[in-house]
Amino acid sequence: MSARQLRNTHDMASLPQLIEEDIGRLDRELRDLLEKSDATTALIIDKGGFLISGQGDTRQFDLTTIAALASGAYMANQTIANLVHETSFNSIYQQGEKFSMLVMGVDENCLLVAIFKAQVSVGAVKYFAAPTVKRIAVQLQIAQERDPGVGLDLSELNLADPSEVFKRKT
Amino acid sequence: MAIINQATKELQVKIVYYGPAMGGKTTNLVQVHDHVQTAAGNKGKLVSLATSSDRTLFFDFLPIEAMSIKGFKAKFQLYTVPGQVIYNTTRQLVLRGVDGIVFVADSQYEKMAENVESFANLEDNLKTLRLNFPDIPYVLQYNKRDLPNVAPVEYMEFILNNRDVQVPSFGATAHKCEGVFEALNMITRMLLHKYVSQAAPQYA
Repeated sequence: MSARQLRNTHDMASLPQLIEEDIGRLDRELRDLLEKSDATTALIIDKGGFLISGQGDTRQFDLTTIAALASGAYMANQTIANLVHETSFNSIYQQGEKFSMLVMGVDENCLLVAIFKAQVSVGAVKYFAAPTVKRIAVQLQIAQERDPGVGLDLSELNLADPSEVFKRKT
Repeated sequence: MAIINQATKELQVKIVYYGPAMGGKTTNLVQVHDHVQTAAGNKGKLVSLATSSDRTLFFDFLPIEAMSIKGFKAKFQLYTVPGQVIYNTTRQLVLRGVDGIVFVADSQYEKMAENVESFANLEDNLKTLRLNFPDIPYVLQYNKRDLPNVAPVEYMEFILNNRDVQVPSFGATAHKCEGVFEALNMITRMLLHKYVSQAAPQYA
């Protein structure tokens, strides 16, 4: 089987390809955070809105949409930070009556999202999330520096047929 | 930039609908949401962050899982930007990580200046994000072709598609779902083709 390698050509930094080793490590870090902090769900998301990985109770929430909205909210807050002459607001916290949410910056590309019951202390979640963020950043750095050598071969897709991908209901 | 997850066998790409205010960007997403043929569970909710008068405030968002390529699930995330001039910061946020763009132009004569301004704004915002415009696949959609005061397609081509490399363009009446899937499928094809073209020589 042939393998092709995709390369990022954009100047803007982007997330590296993640292999099983990366996802396994990221998932372990998320599970460790959930265990220590009593949070319900923990996610790693891309600042562009993509969900990278999620652990904990992933059934009762629409994680894809939460990823898109949480990244938007976080990035909007970074813009506010600049307007008030701050370099960044490294985290955002939304307090609810049933669940609360904490979003923390991991690195240039990624964010950590923790969803926890309202009675759980945000201080505890923040305390345990801080080292988690560092370890996640290290793993993403390893992924960035690695050249996995195996990518995605899209040549099987019939690119001559533009109607192939999204079909309209008849 | 698309995310490739080898562990979960997922490819995630982001397509942004850009263009002047009231041009029909949200309508495009609504029509895709209402009419796309997907397996059960592969179409997410259409989320709109809109004002009380239904104008897009932050963005609209529609996730769709469309197909499988060699065992990889291809997940598409469709976004719109707010068209109103004052929301430029928001447009920059939504453009982060974009893989392909559908520029939705309003075909009415009196909207031509807004189309041109919006296109220039797109170029400026991509520069701000350090993205190289020629590297981002995009298509043009000339919407509202059912209205009486529309400019001829040739005129719109001269105004918006008069560059060294001309891109595919589509006449559309988005609220009737005409030209919606054509533009979406073309941008999808272009951005997937980009990845094929960029791929390094095959390994044995």
